[in-house]
Amino acid sequence: MVIDLKRCIGCYGCQLSCKAEHGTPPGVFFARVIKREFGTFPNTQLVFLPTLCFHCTNAPCVDVCPTGASHYREGGVVDITREECVGCLACTQACPYGARYFNDAPGAYFPGQGLTPYEQAKYSDDNVGIVMKCNFCIDRVTAGLEPACVANCASRARTFGDLDDPGSEVSHLIRLRGGEQLQPELGTHPNVYYLPPA
Amino acid sequence: MRATASYDRLLADLGATFRPQRHWVEGRGLLLILGHFLSGVGAGTWLFSLWLGYTPGLVLAVAVVAAAGLAHLFFLGHPERFWRMYRARTSWIARGFLGMNVFMAGAVLALLLPAGALRTLCLAVAVAGSAIIIGYKGNVYAASKGVPFWNSPVLPILYATYAIRGGLALLLVVLPLTGGPADAHRLEFLELWVAVSAAVMLGFYLGVMRNTNLAARRSVAELTGGRVAVAFYLGTVGVGLLVPIVVGLAGFAGPLSQAALALVGALSLVGDFFAKYAIAKAGIYVPLMPAGRA
Repeated sequence: MVIDLKRCIGCYGCQLSCKAEHGTPPGVFFARVIKREFGTFPNTQLVFLPTLCFHCTNAPCVDVCPTGASHYREGGVVDITREECVGCLACTQACPYGARYFNDAPGAYFPGQGLTPYEQAKYSDDNVGIVMKCNFCIDRVTAGLEPACVANCASRARTFGDLDDPGSEVSHLIRLRGGEQLQPELGTHPNVYYLPPA
Repeated sequence: MRATASYDRLLADLGATFRPQRHWVEGRGLLLILGHFLSGVGAGTWLFSLWLGYTPGLVLAVAVVAAAGLAHLFFLGHPERFWRMYRARTSWIARGFLGMNVFMAGAVLALLLPAGALRTLCLAVAVAGSAIIIGYKGNVYAASKGVPFWNSPVLPILYATYAIRGGLALLLVVLPLTGGPADAHRLEFLELWVAVSAAVMLGFYLGVMRNTNLAARRSVAELTGGRVAVAFYLGTVGVGLLVPIVVGLAGFAGPLSQAALALVGALSLVGDFFAKYAIAKAGIYVPLMPAGRA
């Protein structure tokens, strides 16, 4: 995936569409937008950094998983087998990008009012007591669709494609705009690239 | 209300430049700290009890490691799935799990069997298991790339030092109570030596981490002057290192009383726990963006 920081307007559309797609409970964010304000008035700048699981080629979360629940799927997607996760949280400590969340006891979005029908439909007992993360909307991708965060990005800041294909749009954008990985010095080789804002 | 408060805190943490790690130290995470503490103490107790030929110590070691296993188990989100850890051998948690099982099997059999070749074999297996237990904990933390303060090869050495010290300390507490083949005063000097080693190792670790990167430096600052400072100075340094070392040095002037030796052992154990607690609590995740305007 490639995220164009020049196009991102910090609308949180990716975050919301991801939540709608996966029905994640409060406190679980497969996609997240980090916002920082820099400078002093009048020379200020608001910077957004949309994040998600970077599906690293050398994923530390996979290395530390004691059961093999965290694994690489075909195509390089890092995923979790729910039934195998023991909830030891080693992967959340190993991930340098904060992309993993522990679903201890899924709460309601409207405290004191119980679960909404949507929450009842989306929440699953299989997800409780385990770690959850973005899987690049693998079901959508398998069905020929784009991940929810890509399809719903209002400013078309996100592009999804095959990084192994030098002719793909993502490869082209990385070459043309000088795409960069986040914290490449960690040696994790993330498969999400950022295009510089300027 | 409680869920809302924890959700609000999570949002505040996610918005912070330096996000503190809470999973392995707060709430159920305390069980993990307790498990790490007990497993190290148990494995250390086994080794020294074996060296001294002190059977009550061997039994105690098995009980302590068993308690550590339970603490680990209750920490998990899905304790009933623990057996799946037999599958993966690439992670340090899986290795620790294997070590704990190897130790328990070998140690229990060694205690039950009469003297002979089979018992010797079981003792050797238990020693191998205790060595894995002593070694794995620090490596679990050191493998956490998301928390730079832990991601250091020095940490496993520090944790191993503390485990050995914990074993000695527990024996210092129980030897005067039960009587044994060894003179507790002899152990006391050994304990003093390991305590000084632990102090030096801790200082070395903090010195290294202070010059590593931004997040690790921040963690050191949290330990020495931030939200973990009380636990660190009072528990780890004061109770855990200074008092036992000072009392231990007093032992050169004249033999210490049994009560004083037991106190040194007990304080060392408290310090061991707080060392693990403080180091875990000071963990901060890699910042994804530089700090903005407050």
